[in-house]
Amino acid sequence: MRDVLRNNRTSILIGAVGLAALLLLPLTTPSGFVYRTLTSMFLLIVTAQGWNLIGGYTGYAAFGNVAFFGLGAYATGILMYRHEWQFLPTVVVGGLIAAGYAVIIGLPVLRLRGHYFAIATLGVAEATREIVAWWTPVTEGAAGISLPFLKPISAAQNFFYYLTLGMVVFGAALTWFVIRRKLGYSWVAIRADEDAARMLGINTTASKVTAFALTAFLVGIAGSVYAYYNSFIAPEEVFKIDRTLQAILAVVLGGAGTIAGPIAGGMIFQLVSTFLIFSKPFGIDLGQFHVTIMGIFIVLVVEMAQITPPVGFNLFVLQGMTGRQITWIARQSAPFFVLMVVMVGLLVAFPGLATWLPAQMRGAG
Amino acid sequence: MSGILIGQSAVNVLLLTGVLTIAALGFSIVWGVMNIINLVHGATIMLGAYVTYIAFAFAGIDPFLTIPLSMALMFGLGYLIQRGVINYVMRAPMLTTFLLTFGLEIVIINLAQFFFKSDLRAITTGYSGASLTLFGDATQNVSVEVPYIKLGALIIALFLTALTHLLMNNTRLGRAIRATGMDKDAAQLTGAKIGTVYAITFALSAALAGAAGSLIAMTQSFQPGFGGTYTLYAFVIVVLGGLGSVPAVAIGAFVFSLITVLTGLWQPGLTQAAAFLLLVVVLVVKPSGIAGKAFYQ
Repeated sequence: MRDVLRNNRTSILIGAVGLAALLLLPLTTPSGFVYRTLTSMFLLIVTAQGWNLIGGYTGYAAFGNVAFFGLGAYATGILMYRHEWQFLPTVVVGGLIAAGYAVIIGLPVLRLRGHYFAIATLGVAEATREIVAWWTPVTEGAAGISLPFLKPISAAQNFFYYLTLGMVVFGAALTWFVIRRKLGYSWVAIRADEDAARMLGINTTASKVTAFALTAFLVGIAGSVYAYYNSFIAPEEVFKIDRTLQAILAVVLGGAGTIAGPIAGGMIFQLVSTFLIFSKPFGIDLGQFHVTIMGIFIVLVVEMAQITPPVGFNLFVLQGMTGRQITWIARQSAPFFVLMVVMVGLLVAFPGLATWLPAQMRGAG
Repeated sequence: MSGILIGQSAVNVLLLTGVLTIAALGFSIVWGVMNIINLVHGATIMLGAYVTYIAFAFAGIDPFLTIPLSMALMFGLGYLIQRGVINYVMRAPMLTTFLLTFGLEIVIINLAQFFFKSDLRAITTGYSGASLTLFGDATQNVSVEVPYIKLGALIIALFLTALTHLLMNNTRLGRAIRATGMDKDAAQLTGAKIGTVYAITFALSAALAGAAGSLIAMTQSFQPGFGGTYTLYAFVIVVLGGLGSVPAVAIGAFVFSLITVLTGLWQPGLTQAAAFLLLVVVLVVKPSGIAGKAFYQ
């Protein structure tokens, strides 16, 4: 298992120092902008940690996790708005509702594999959004729900900052705890070969459904906290498929099936994304191109992952074609890998590159 | 339900089936032959719609005559996308192509937003409102209406579907495409250039999406983001009908239209939910779809 934190003192040290720095950060009275960026980043990391359990460890590419996010958000929204609950209990309820929904959905849907599983989960998420939008008497429909504000602002900033940071730690601890138990090993076995795993006596259905439920719990509490943090929720917004995809991208960027992966990937994704929105290199406002550049960034990173040892797929293709050692292949393809890293670096440093051509075309026309 | 309502619903189902078949056909071929879930598909439909809009609004060309143009342009775009990007990850796991095509979709939609703005566009021709009246009941002033535009769209959809069916089954290119889909290494051994075959397959799919976009542009208002919904519809249709043949797509589109129209009569807010519920049920009960075979044969 490529578990970075395991037997690796350096990683634990880096994690501890990073955590200490983040815990102490509010003492420096950072701006609201810093708070917002980091809180959003922590929420993204928690949803990524959730996806990592089902997608990274168990190897089931779930594309409908936003349903759990939305359910968590609506649990908090409805309980606080209609029944005047305190905030924290609603988070637990939100997580549990999402987990229960995952069990109900998972029992039929987890029998599917590959594309079919991906599509079925995507379909479930879309259907969930439509039902929430339609069920006006309970959910207020497309108009959305406004939640009470937490006051004063400075206290709210600190509260959400520490709460979401704590959730990240919880997500990492949960992953760490589970993957060294029988359950975690059964996930990895299912990812490697589900039929063989069943032959060995693993109850694959129970393992997969548990993975899906834990995933849903993490994503659900992220949704709950988002609802109160954002103080407004609407179906189109909390069920947006982009949320699922951002979490998947964060995991893929950082490394699927590792504890550090979602954390590192979430940091990279959020920071690049924020940078693209707010930086203005050469006085060009890139805000309007933000999503375009993110798209190009995704394409580059996916292509790059193909030649990244030890899991890059094209390396194995080359190995099959040339009959050489994989280490030799990795060495020989290193220059190309470096070139692609340079490309990504250039794109991050000068995002204007990505949109230079269309800008020329529009300027002329 | 009165007779007129039943008649109108039946007509609506038929008209919707035609457009949806074309919208899902290319998606099904790419999935069947290349084993790729092509998330760019909806963006291609959207570009087809804008080709028609621009040709109509700035050059005054009749929307029906712009279909060859949008098909040709999308064919070229599809060829470039497959050749320049997707061919490099053809042997990679499913998640890779899924994410890659998603990234491309974001790029295309946002560039479209940049060039075309997010305004809602609509194409209104001289014959837009006109319709053919069947079974009119003058006493109650009700009748079954068949809008000319939708009738034309249905005819074109039928024509293109038949053409695709012939192409896949009766031509050398179609055989090369099917052979590559069945076993790419064996196809390569018998002389098919699989890189080119993939590119042409993707280009054909994009051309069909372009035609679908042109047809949809005449029947509804649209903005750059509208294609994503059609990607999802294409999913559902292909799963319902099953992978494997052109007629299967038409069957899937028919079932999908039936569900949509019937749910629309009862609860207009739940049409998608009903379609996706059906999707999950079909996937679990019969994953190969209603008429699905193993492959394009």
